[in-house]
Amino acid sequence: MGAYVTRRLLSLIPIVLWISVISFGIMHLAPGKPTDAAMSFNPKVSLEARQRMEKLYGLDQPLPAQYLSWLRRTVRLDFGRSFLDDRPVAEKILERLPITVTINVVSLLLILGLAVPLGVVAAVRPGGPFDRLTTVLVFIGYSMPSFWVALLSMSLFGVTLHWLPISGIHSLDYESFGMGRRWLDVAWHLVLPVGITAFVSLAGLSRYMRSSMVEVLRQDYIRTARAKGLPERRVLFHHGLRNGLLPIITILGLSLPDLIGGSVIAETIFSIPGMGRLFYEAVMARDYPVIMSLVTVGAVLTMLGNLLADLAYAYADPRIRVGSPR
Amino acid sequence: MPRVIATIAACLLACPPIFAEPKPVAGDAIVVGSIGDASRLLPILATDSASGDIVGLLFNGLLKYNERLEIVGDLAESWTVSEDGLAITFTLRPNVRWHDGAPVTADDVKFTYEKLIDPSVHTPFSSSYELVQSVEILDARTVRITYRQPFAPALESWMIGIMPKHLLEREDLNTTAFLRHPIGDGPFRFVRWKTGELIELAANGDYFEHRPYIDRYLYRIIPDQATLFLELLTNGVDHTGLSPLQYRRQTDSPFMERAYRKFRYPSFGFTYLGYNLKDARFADVRVRRAINLAIDKQAIIDGVLYGLGSAATGPYPKESWACDPSVAAGGYDPAAAKALLAEAGWIDRDGDGWLDRDGRPFRFTIMTNQGNEVRRQVAELIQQQLKAVGIDVKIKVIEWSTFVHEFIDKRRFEAVLLGWSLSRDPDLYDIFHSSKTREGEYNFVGYANPEVDRLLVQGRQTFDQPERRRIYREVHRRLAEDQPYTFLYVPDALPIVASRFRNVIATPIGIGYNFIDWYAPREEQRYKRMGP
Repeated sequence: MGAYVTRRLLSLIPIVLWISVISFGIMHLAPGKPTDAAMSFNPKVSLEARQRMEKLYGLDQPLPAQYLSWLRRTVRLDFGRSFLDDRPVAEKILERLPITVTINVVSLLLILGLAVPLGVVAAVRPGGPFDRLTTVLVFIGYSMPSFWVALLSMSLFGVTLHWLPISGIHSLDYESFGMGRRWLDVAWHLVLPVGITAFVSLAGLSRYMRSSMVEVLRQDYIRTARAKGLPERRVLFHHGLRNGLLPIITILGLSLPDLIGGSVIAETIFSIPGMGRLFYEAVMARDYPVIMSLVTVGAVLTMLGNLLADLAYAYADPRIRVGSPR
Repeated sequence: MPRVIATIAACLLACPPIFAEPKPVAGDAIVVGSIGDASRLLPILATDSASGDIVGLLFNGLLKYNERLEIVGDLAESWTVSEDGLAITFTLRPNVRWHDGAPVTADDVKFTYEKLIDPSVHTPFSSSYELVQSVEILDARTVRITYRQPFAPALESWMIGIMPKHLLEREDLNTTAFLRHPIGDGPFRFVRWKTGELIELAANGDYFEHRPYIDRYLYRIIPDQATLFLELLTNGVDHTGLSPLQYRRQTDSPFMERAYRKFRYPSFGFTYLGYNLKDARFADVRVRRAINLAIDKQAIIDGVLYGLGSAATGPYPKESWACDPSVAAGGYDPAAAKALLAEAGWIDRDGDGWLDRDGRPFRFTIMTNQGNEVRRQVAELIQQQLKAVGIDVKIKVIEWSTFVHEFIDKRRFEAVLLGWSLSRDPDLYDIFHSSKTREGEYNFVGYANPEVDRLLVQGRQTFDQPERRRIYREVHRRLAEDQPYTFLYVPDALPIVASRFRNVIATPIGIGYNFIDWYAPREEQRYKRMGP
């Protein structure tokens, strides 16, 4: 097992290198320079001043040289400084990470909590009334553009009913609240963003759960379990669910990078200062160090997620356990 | 009886002119909504508008514009320009202090200058200070700045915020922690900055003019226009800018009318159709004048800006002293346009509805940048209006960076639809002087008029106000004659402010010039407690 994990980890290195070369290349193929946003088309900023800035940021170097200097810094875990405000990229990412991870973990738990039972119950009688009802409901959520649902909910719950705050993650007087009230305040602000994220992504997971359960419930061992007189609940949740969860584990593993990659649309609409906005703003400003760091971290996490999913799979399903058993 | 009259007279002299107006009181907070976050809170590094907004409240310059667009002292109590225009001597106000209590001195001015021209500092604003020969400290309150040649825009350039030497001299300005925890000398002091969320400032009780009445300034970052608007509907934001559509159609509910006041004044800037003057068709001034006559500017303003703008006659808004009021917008006259085009040889000879010359129809492409809906609509209206005189216009909308680098810089365009937003000083050297045509410079249309060149140089070297006015009005007239651009319109700035704030007055410079005088009557204040 240990050798397998080591081998898998080592094989990540060339892949991550390739990903970084390709993303570096694509990023530089996009027209424009980091100095454009703030400085071009401002008559107060002369051509010489712009050229001097490009030199200061090393943008006058040939691309391979720029890539190598990026690589040299990155292997030492120095992600460089943002072109936008000269702050260390690591600091910018760490500052944005907690809120995005919170939202994603909470909505993922919410999605799991809803999708698994929905999928299981629907699978008991495929094509039955409950199955059809949930199919329609989750696909309504799936088909609606999330920004539109978000704006309508903000208008209904925020403007018309005054039940929920419209945007942001804190009240203006947050700093003066006690600990308990601070938690409540943040929770209050997260109801809409989390709820809407969960609603629009419920379809995927609950459908996976359903089809995987339908498959499992047709198996012989389920018939055996039923035949030996086990109560239906135990058949479903002990014998059925355990096997039905396998594909869900893969999906969860693959969603590891999603946990740190926020949704640009939700974060923009709800004014949440998270990772999605950081990435979007970096792309728009051609803030190369921030883009490269986020892409690399995303690539590493995607592959770690893959690896974790494989390992969890092996754990859950003895048939595909790898390597020589003790 | 005489005593009563005397009392009334004394009261009239002493009291503010309107008796009903209550005395300003301190307190409350103003919540400002902004699409973008700030990046660096240092005057010489503040390149985006959010950083500019905040830095403007934290730091003062030597000079500033008053509400009539006249240059007046800010940190400088007085200033003199030497007879030959080469030296400007500023005398600082006594007793202005940084927020940490240290006095503001001539050392700080010299330090700010040294950092502006330091090649290792990431400031893009150095070009305005290239002509400075020396900055000498005459005494703690007096500083003399000598130029290599007279440079009138220098006065405006000293409106840049002065920085505290004692806090920054040992710091690397590009990376110092000061950028996120600035200490200034302005009417507000820095409290906190939560990235992407909120910047909070508090009134500076020690401010040399007087303490601002509003206690707290909360700058909320709300990146989505629609969300910002929903926040307005629930009083979550007290002050922001509106789009013309929001101003006209979406802010007239009884609630909005009660809770907010809307303001409208011309912004400093204009939208224009610029021609590539290397193109043989546009090199002919008659063609450019004809297009100016064929475009109905008022229809564009009414159709696209809901009437919230004014037709431009040149690069200056009507409020500017540089604007020559005698220059007419040219008027909308398609018949005269056709006659001028015919004179230039453009006649519909083959009867297909399009003008032609030497067997080729008059067809050109207007390019503009993506992401600006207003410009795209303006281009479409121009397309229709020019069709009426027989010119076939195509429209191409291109992503900003590509547009600038591949088309503007490389001169690969026939006509472009763009806008300039300018500072209050009428200097246009960078835009219209014939020397500014290298790749990456701003006279990309390739305009060259020796007389305008001479006037632009003369305008930069003249401090005498009546003389400057004469020069720039002449520039305005020449540009209107030559039409290197068709000057289309000056859009209005459309701020909205919660109605509980009093003393908010629209002037040629906008509403922010007397921000420290804004106040909310006690019974209408919404945020009671003082910030942490």
